[in-house]
Amino acid sequence: MKKWLLIVCAGLLALLSACSSGSADNTNAEGKVELDFWTFWGSETRRPMIEKLIEDFNNSQDEIVVKHTYVPWGDIWTKNLAAIAAGDPPDVIVNDIRTVKIRASNNQVEDISKWVDDDLKNSFYPHLWDAVTYKDKAYALPFTTDTRMLFYNKDAFREAGLDPEKPPRTWKELKEYSDKLTVKNEDGGYKQVGYYPNWGNFTTHDWMINADDGKGLMEGGEPTINTPAKKEAIQWMYDWKQELGSEAVQNMKAEFGNEQQDPFISGKVAMWAEIGTFYKQLEEFGGDLDYGVATMPAYNEDTKPWSTGGGFVMEIPKGAKNPEASMKFIKYLTDVEAQTYWGENNFDNIANKEATKQITENLDGKGAEIFQKSMESLEYTYLSITPPEYPEYENLVNPLIDDALNGKISVEEALDQAQKDVENSKQ
Amino acid sequence: MSGIKEHNVAISTTQRKSVHKSKSSDWTVRKPKMSKLSLKENIWGYIFIAPWIIGFLGLTLGPLLFSLVTSFTDYNVTSQMNFTGFDNYKRMFTVDPLFWTSLYNTVYFVVFSVPLTTAGAVIVAMLLNQKMKGIKVFRTIYYLPAVLSGVAVYFLWMQLLSPSTGLVNTVLAWFGIDGPAWLFEPEWTKPALVMMKMWSVGGGMLLYLAVMQGVPKAMYEAAELDGAGSIRKFFHITLPMITPIIFFDMVTSTIGAFQIFQEAYVMTDSGEGGPSNSLLFYNLHMWNNAFEIFNMGYASAMAWVLFIIVMILTFLHFKFSKKWVYYESGDHK
Repeated sequence: MKKWLLIVCAGLLALLSACSSGSADNTNAEGKVELDFWTFWGSETRRPMIEKLIEDFNNSQDEIVVKHTYVPWGDIWTKNLAAIAAGDPPDVIVNDIRTVKIRASNNQVEDISKWVDDDLKNSFYPHLWDAVTYKDKAYALPFTTDTRMLFYNKDAFREAGLDPEKPPRTWKELKEYSDKLTVKNEDGGYKQVGYYPNWGNFTTHDWMINADDGKGLMEGGEPTINTPAKKEAIQWMYDWKQELGSEAVQNMKAEFGNEQQDPFISGKVAMWAEIGTFYKQLEEFGGDLDYGVATMPAYNEDTKPWSTGGGFVMEIPKGAKNPEASMKFIKYLTDVEAQTYWGENNFDNIANKEATKQITENLDGKGAEIFQKSMESLEYTYLSITPPEYPEYENLVNPLIDDALNGKISVEEALDQAQKDVENSKQ
Repeated sequence: MSGIKEHNVAISTTQRKSVHKSKSSDWTVRKPKMSKLSLKENIWGYIFIAPWIIGFLGLTLGPLLFSLVTSFTDYNVTSQMNFTGFDNYKRMFTVDPLFWTSLYNTVYFVVFSVPLTTAGAVIVAMLLNQKMKGIKVFRTIYYLPAVLSGVAVYFLWMQLLSPSTGLVNTVLAWFGIDGPAWLFEPEWTKPALVMMKMWSVGGGMLLYLAVMQGVPKAMYEAAELDGAGSIRKFFHITLPMITPIIFFDMVTSTIGAFQIFQEAYVMTDSGEGGPSNSLLFYNLHMWNNAFEIFNMGYASAMAWVLFIIVMILTFLHFKFSKKWVYYESGDHK
C-alpha cells in the first residue's frame, strides 16, 4: 500500500515538474526551426486566410515551420505578457499598432533594427512606420491599418430629395443632410435618423481630431485636450444630442444590433461611420441596399476631411528563441504578395504601399470603389498613439466627455478637467 | 489476491496502532518523546494533507505575499520591479480621480444591495414558511434564479432593462410610468444592478427558511396563548431567533458586494465602466490597471487597500453584532 502511495506522489511531482519546464529547444525532429505564431483571427473568414498564408510560407522554404495558435481577442495580449514574464513567449504575435512604443519602452518586444534597411522601411506608409519605432529603433513591422469613412444610404437620399452622388463634405452639410434624412414616427419616435455624431465608429475623440485639423489628444507625447477646436467639437455633439432628444438617442442605441439588425443595414440610420471592412458585412447582410461611401466630412471648406485609424503590427516578443527566423516570417507577412492577398480578401487597409497599388488594380465593382475611397481617406488619417507616459489617458478623458454630453458639466469644464487629470497622471 | 492480503495487513496495522496509541497516551505525561511509530504516522498525515498545503502555500499565501511586496514597486509583469515606497498608495489617495469614483460606486452598491437583499430574503423566506398546499413548488420557483448564474443572467437582464422594448419598462408603462434608460443613464445604472441582485435572493432565502423551521414551536404556542398576533410573533420570536443567520448573511454579502466586478465588466461597453463611469467599481478599476495597462504594482496596492477596508467593516460588524444578535445558548459566542 505504501509503495502504491509513493508511486502516486512521485508521479504527481514528476507531472508538475514536466509542466513547468518549457521547451528549451525549438527545432523539431526534421531539424527545422519551429515558430509559434499567435493571432486572434479565429473567425470563419479570417482564420482560413491566415492559415493559407502560413501554409504558403511553410511550403516556400525548408528551414522554418510556422504553427498557428489562435488566442481569443480578449486574452491574447495579457497572455503574451504573462508568457514573456515566464520566459517562454510566442515567436511572433500580432499586436496593436498604437501601443508599440509602450511595449518598447517597457522592454517587452525585441528590437529588430538590425534586420531593417531603407528599402524595407520605405515599403510602408510613413505614419505607420513612425508608430513602430521608439527612440530611432524599430520594434515591429506594420501589417494592417484602417480608416473611418462615411457610408450613406442612397435610397434614403433619393427619398429626402438629396443627390445620391453628393455626400456631405462639411459639418454644415452633414447637419443639413441629416435634418432632411430624419423621419419621425406617428408616436414621436424616430423612424430614421440621418446621422448622430456619437454613433458608429467615429465618435468623441475622432470628431475632436477632425475639428482640430488633424491634431490628436496627445501631441508630441503631451496632452492637448482642451483646445478651442476640440471644445467646439464636443459642444457641437452636445447640441446635436439636445436637438434629437437625449432619451431618444439612448433608446435607439439600446436597440442597435448586429448583422441584419445593424442600424445602417436595417435603415434606422441613413449615414454611418465605419472602416472599410464594413463592406464585408454589407455584402453578407445588406441585401440590395444601395449605398455609397465618402471620406468623413471636414470641419469647414478650408480644413481637410480628417479621419482616424488604428491597425496591427507583427512583432517578436522579448525573449523569443529564434528572432532571426521570426523576422523572416514577419518580412514575408508584410511583403507584397501576402499583403495583396490579405487586402483583397478582407478589405483591411494594408501597410505595404506596393501591395495597396496592386489591389486597386485587381479589384473591381463595389469593392474597388470602397478600397479607392479608403486610400483617399488614408491621406488624412490620424493614428492615435498612446504615449508611454500616459497609458490610461482615455480612461480619464472619456467619463468627463460623457458628463459633458449628458449636460452634467459644461464642455469647457469637462475638457479643462480632462487636461488637468491627464497631466497629473504622468508616470 | 494480493490486494486483499494487503488490505488485511493494513487493517491489522491500524488496529495495532490504535491499541498502541491508547497505551501511549497514558504515558505521554511522563514520556513526551514521540515514538517511532507515531512519528511515522505524523509524516504520513502530512503527506496526506500535502496537496492542500502545497496548494495553500503556492496558490494562496505565496501570491498574497507577492502582491504585498509588489504594491510597493512599479512592477509591470515583464521588465521592471523597482522599489517605489508608498508611491502607489500616495497616488491612489491624491492623484487618481478614478480611485474615488470607483470607491464611491462600490460603497453605493454595498449600502443599497446588502440591506435590500437581506430584507428581501427574509421576507420571501417568511412567506414560503407557511403551511400551504404546493408550497414546495413555490420554494423551488423562488430558488431557481440562484441556480442560474453569471454571464447568461447578465445578458438576460440587459434585455429586460432595455429602455424601450425591455420587459421592465413595458410593465412600468402599464402603470403610466415612463421608465428610465437604466444601463444607459448614469443615475440609474447602479439601481439597475441592485434590482438585478434582488432577483436572486433565493440563496439567502434557503438559509433563512432552514433556520425558521428550527425555531421551537412551543414559543409560538406560548405567545398565541398570551394573545400575540402574527406580526408580533414575527418581530418578537422569529426575527430574534434568526439574527445569527442574518448576521452571517450580512457579513458574507458585504464582502461579496465589495467584490462586484463581472456585472460591470459584462454589462458595459467593452468593460469600461458604463456611462460617465457610473459602473466603474473598485475591482473593475483595479482590473483595468492590472490587465489593461499592466500597472501591476498600483493594482496590488489597490487590492490591499480594499482588503483593509473590508477587514475594518467586518470588524465593525462583529463589534456591533453584540447589540442585536441573539444566541440561544446565551454565551454570545
